[in-house]
Amino acid sequence: MLPIVLLSVFGIVVLFLGFSKSKNILLPATLLFLLVTLIANFVDWNHQYLYFNDMLWGNNASMVFSGIVLLSAFFVVALTRGFEQEGEAAQPAEYYGIMLFSLVGAIMMISYENLIILFVGVEILSVSIYILTGSDKRNLRSNEAALKYFLMGAFATGIMLFGMALMYGATGSFVISDISEIIGTRAWNEQSQLLYAGLLMLLVGLLFKVSAAPFHFWTPDVYDGAPTIFTAYMSTIVKTAGFAALYRLLAGSLASLQDYWFATLATITVLTLLAGNVTAVYQTSFKRMLAYSSISHAGYLLIALTSLTAKSQSSILFYSLAYSLSTVSAFGVLILVSQQQASNNYDAFNGLAKKNPFLAFVLAVSMLSLAGIPLTAGFMGKLFVFTDAAQKGTIWLLVVAILASAIGIYYYFRVLIAAYFKEGDLATIRIAPFYKVVLIIVTTLTIVLGLFPDLVLQLV
Amino acid sequence: MEKMHLPSDFLPIFIQLGLALGFIITTMLVTHSIGPKRNSKLKDEAFECGIPAEGDARTPISVKYFLIAILFVLFDVEVIFMYPWAVNFKSLGWAGFVEMLLFMGLLLAGFYYVIRKGVLKWE
Amino acid sequence: MFSEATAAIPDVIQQVKIQHYIFLATALFVIGIVGVLTRRNAIVIFMSVELMLNSVNLLLITFSAYRSDPAGQVFVFFIMAVAAAEVAVGLAIIVMIYRNTRTIDVGFLNKLKF
Repeated sequence: MLPIVLLSVFGIVVLFLGFSKSKNILLPATLLFLLVTLIANFVDWNHQYLYFNDMLWGNNASMVFSGIVLLSAFFVVALTRGFEQEGEAAQPAEYYGIMLFSLVGAIMMISYENLIILFVGVEILSVSIYILTGSDKRNLRSNEAALKYFLMGAFATGIMLFGMALMYGATGSFVISDISEIIGTRAWNEQSQLLYAGLLMLLVGLLFKVSAAPFHFWTPDVYDGAPTIFTAYMSTIVKTAGFAALYRLLAGSLASLQDYWFATLATITVLTLLAGNVTAVYQTSFKRMLAYSSISHAGYLLIALTSLTAKSQSSILFYSLAYSLSTVSAFGVLILVSQQQASNNYDAFNGLAKKNPFLAFVLAVSMLSLAGIPLTAGFMGKLFVFTDAAQKGTIWLLVVAILASAIGIYYYFRVLIAAYFKEGDLATIRIAPFYKVVLIIVTTLTIVLGLFPDLVLQLV
Repeated sequence: MEKMHLPSDFLPIFIQLGLALGFIITTMLVTHSIGPKRNSKLKDEAFECGIPAEGDARTPISVKYFLIAILFVLFDVEVIFMYPWAVNFKSLGWAGFVEMLLFMGLLLAGFYYVIRKGVLKWE
Repeated sequence: MFSEATAAIPDVIQQVKIQHYIFLATALFVIGIVGVLTRRNAIVIFMSVELMLNSVNLLLITFSAYRSDPAGQVFVFFIMAVAAAEVAVGLAIIVMIYRNTRTIDVGFLNKLKF
């Protein structure tokens, strides 16, 4: 409860700080607020809590999920220097405020007990991100991305809501544990038909938010059009919160119906893996490749979700942490390089290693982690996810996933080849000390978690 | 117990519908037929003073109106949370009152923000 | 359906069967979906989305009335408030695009392609 209250208050405070003369206070203030919230997030450690008339539920796992979201938000906010230089159109206070508000939505999605909270959380997060996507007001690409995301997102919300209404009709409750109880008393063929229709539509809505195929068509356009810093923001936070919400729904209330939804989700998983990885190969823009890569990582996370073994939660948790860390550093490097080269393409990275060995190393670690090469966090994440699938006994799913990650190596290494082996005239890029510190922390965490995954796993 | 419904049960609704539609159609027809019509190009133009009409009447209106309309939608809808509170005013007691004060306080913070941003300044 | 709970429901509500309401809500929802998929004007698409949300409201109120359970109606309040917020943001985005392009036809949005 505490992080939600704190973030809401801090969001308002940041909005009003924007009226003060010195805009330089905004970034440190936001970072401080995020740090305070991150600490406050863990006050209930080792307790199971129920707040707001039993509408919010949490335990250690949900606190760690919230922690991941807050941590990635902290890193992304730390990389946002440069709002101030965008001229009069820049409104840093609003963007920081909206980022804080959107985290409220993310935490609500992670620890909901009542479907109302899930809906409100999804909407707080989505509406904030519609705004952030369109924040580059004069840029047509940003406008277009915002409108596309908004129209499709609202459409998906409508479908999700209809699903919730049908589930309410079938079970008579919005509370996760009650729904689970009511479903548990009946066999699968005695359930109300409304339940199955509702479940399917609810899943479609949530899968849209995490950009699983075939609901992924908005992802590349929106990620490409949005300002890069906000692309980093949404690709980490929406994905983590979305998968936490999906896990909570499937494990918390619908586990007894696994036989029913397994085939559906498994099909979606395979589609997502193939659509993400195969299309990523054909991209010429690094930013757009990262968008498709985020689709493919949604596929790997879906494997853990589909298997739904006892260890699925910790696999999803570790994987989203590893993915968030690598994505933040990849976008961090992209921001610097694209400022220098005015391009997001692979060619922009040509010869990066010659004069900027540090940036090239950060990029290399992040790409290796995304591709799942040993000694990085990404490898351990994939290992856990694949172990889940093996335990469930779905070998065919495993085969598809391994083939997909083999394809992944190709396109992740393309940018590394450009950075290390191609000739380019990239000058030395000046990195602000704080920016550098964030990149160092993220890269170190990626390697440390790859060597000692237990550091996180023993928490849950 | 099942109750049967004959179409005649809905008769009042249809009568109401007929009356509403009838009134609109009759007034539209009657005003058109009774009123005298003398149309000419000269008559449609501005008389003696004023600037000649130009372009379409459906031009985009000032952004100020748009912002105020949006703010109206936002603040208007928040009232729906007060209805349930008003209905259960007594049973919710002081706790409910404090919660509602908090809610209004947050709304007022938003309102103050809007004023400070200068959205409501007319000139 | 709902046979176990019908005793608590007032006669007035029972006069129209719940199926009718479900069909009506579904029909409205499908009209909304078709609108979203076929129209090219951003505002009309947006109106279709609102129609979808309102069909959900109707469905929730129906279930709520037939179950004598207030939770559904509470949900409707939240949907209305959130829909208003969504309208505000959505219209702001549409106005922003109109200022830059002088059109709100979604066919113009083709800058982003792979």
